[in-house]
Amino acid sequence: MKPLRLVIADDEDLARSLVREFLKDSLDLEIVAECRNGFEAVKAVTELKPDLLLLDIQMPRLDGFEVLELIERETNVIFITAYDQYAIRAFDVHAIDYLLKPFSAERLSEALDRARKKIDRGEPTTTAALAAEARPPGTRADRILIRDGGDVHVVPMARIDYVEAQDDYVCFRAEGKRYLKQQTLADVETVLDPTRFVRIHRSYILNVERLAKLELYAKDSHAAILRDGTRLPVSRSGYSRLNTMIG
Amino acid sequence: MEPRLWAASPFSTDVHPILESRQRLTLYLMAWLPIAAILIAVLKRGFESWPEATLVIAPMSLLYAFMCLSAWYVCLAAPMRDQTALRVLTTLSIASVLSSGVWFAAGEVWVLSIEPWANFPGLSERYTLQFTPLFLNGVLLFLLAAAVHYLLITIDASRGVEKRALELQVLAREAELKALRAQIDPHFLFNSLNSISALTMSDPQGARSMCLLLADFLRTSLVLGSKQQIPISEELRLVEGFLSIEKVRYGKRLSIVRNVDPACDGCLVPPLLIQPLVENAIRHGIARLIDGGAVRLEVQREGQAIEILLENPVDPHGEVTPQKGAGLGLENVKSRLARLFPGQANVNVLRDEGRFQVRLRFPCIRLGETQ
Repeated sequence: MKPLRLVIADDEDLARSLVREFLKDSLDLEIVAECRNGFEAVKAVTELKPDLLLLDIQMPRLDGFEVLELIERETNVIFITAYDQYAIRAFDVHAIDYLLKPFSAERLSEALDRARKKIDRGEPTTTAALAAEARPPGTRADRILIRDGGDVHVVPMARIDYVEAQDDYVCFRAEGKRYLKQQTLADVETVLDPTRFVRIHRSYILNVERLAKLELYAKDSHAAILRDGTRLPVSRSGYSRLNTMIG
Repeated sequence: MEPRLWAASPFSTDVHPILESRQRLTLYLMAWLPIAAILIAVLKRGFESWPEATLVIAPMSLLYAFMCLSAWYVCLAAPMRDQTALRVLTTLSIASVLSSGVWFAAGEVWVLSIEPWANFPGLSERYTLQFTPLFLNGVLLFLLAAAVHYLLITIDASRGVEKRALELQVLAREAELKALRAQIDPHFLFNSLNSISALTMSDPQGARSMCLLLADFLRTSLVLGSKQQIPISEELRLVEGFLSIEKVRYGKRLSIVRNVDPACDGCLVPPLLIQPLVENAIRHGIARLIDGGAVRLEVQREGQAIEILLENPVDPHGEVTPQKGAGLGLENVKSRLARLFPGQANVNVLRDEGRFQVRLRFPCIRLGETQ
């Protein structure tokens, strides 16, 4: 049997050493990487393509859900947490396996067996809805994560000027830089803060704080001029949305 | 438990004290058996024979037993507690006269309806002659029933008060437990247990000392949490205990810089004032930094005031909005200090790129001193 290739991601040295300790006699397993934060986890998964990721939720820089969002459908995941009511509820709903700290060696091997069966059946682990449900209510993500190979760009929402649809991708414009992400503009719209971002056109979402003025350039047709001089088209429905928003 | 304390008023107007349970109704009706017997015995002289008296009086007694249940409404209309004795007496008199009159009339109807087939010639005339004793008995029985209702209402009310006192006790106990639970962050507890689990193999000595540290911290926070005010030295000892546990978890990622002025030693603080702030500093600061950093704690004496400074690094790329957990803890600290030192306490929060700082300032009061 091919050994299961495993990545462990936990920011606490002791927590990782415990997993290592539990697994040291398992011959059908190979720990291919140990990660101390979310960035390392994304990088390790992208570059090493492991079969399974043991992922702690509470980690610096990127938490477990953000890692999940970035590596979606590439790896099977077992979550580890000490105490997260919302997360546990979400795991139960989506039948994702999780370990509660402290856990026993038996419980770990049970989770691994289950994961192995899942991998053999070729079932995907993750669902996009999970991360949203697992967060406590009232905590909206306030940044956009963009993966660029093994690297991750973190763009705070407040720094985004506008978002543009480009075929299968969306392009985030922030402080003169462009970040491409494979997503639809409609999906982006749901995560952005609705008090700040508005869909002004089929292909554009604008951060209203960047708006300098609106110009009428044809009958029923407007253009938004941004502070840096960029011109963006505004559709008729976009114009009325923009008007209700800025009053 | 639902706190439906105020729903049950002392005079519960929603349930009849006798009709509320089958048991009470049965008892009540059984009490009417001897009454009926006495009535028959007393009124027998006015009738031809025992069977005749029984045939008239027994059904009338049963009817009156039910009519007297309406005394409850009289009791409600004239509660003894808020009305003058005169009002109560007037209400009762009118009600008893009326119901006795209705009772007599109902008896008349009964007698007239059985006369044709009961073979007691002249029954209705004999019945009419019994008006005075029947009417008087009716009035007396109604008054008796009213007295019983008043009594039952009072008993029920006092039971309700007892029950409410018990419920209040339970609620207070629950609040206490909740407060204790809130003091101990489950994240902290489970992660510490996980560290112990990890240490048992690699470093059994370390595991044991971690157990002791944890036990000590939990015990101390339970004891201190139940007090109103404690000397700051005790609070700082709790903070030290907490930090040594977190040090095991975070290792090199957590370092601590302290600067405590011994002149502050005896100053009183509300318990668990600083520890939750240190907990926030680690949870929202150190834990979110890949390489961790230093938590800085300064306690200084400034004239009559004491100043506490807590500073921790934060992830500059992290959330710009203040963390909800930290915000709540800070609100808690503010309101507690404001209650203890009205108008004299100051809480300052500073957040800039990469740094979070809380500064508390309040009067230093020692044990035995008053403001």
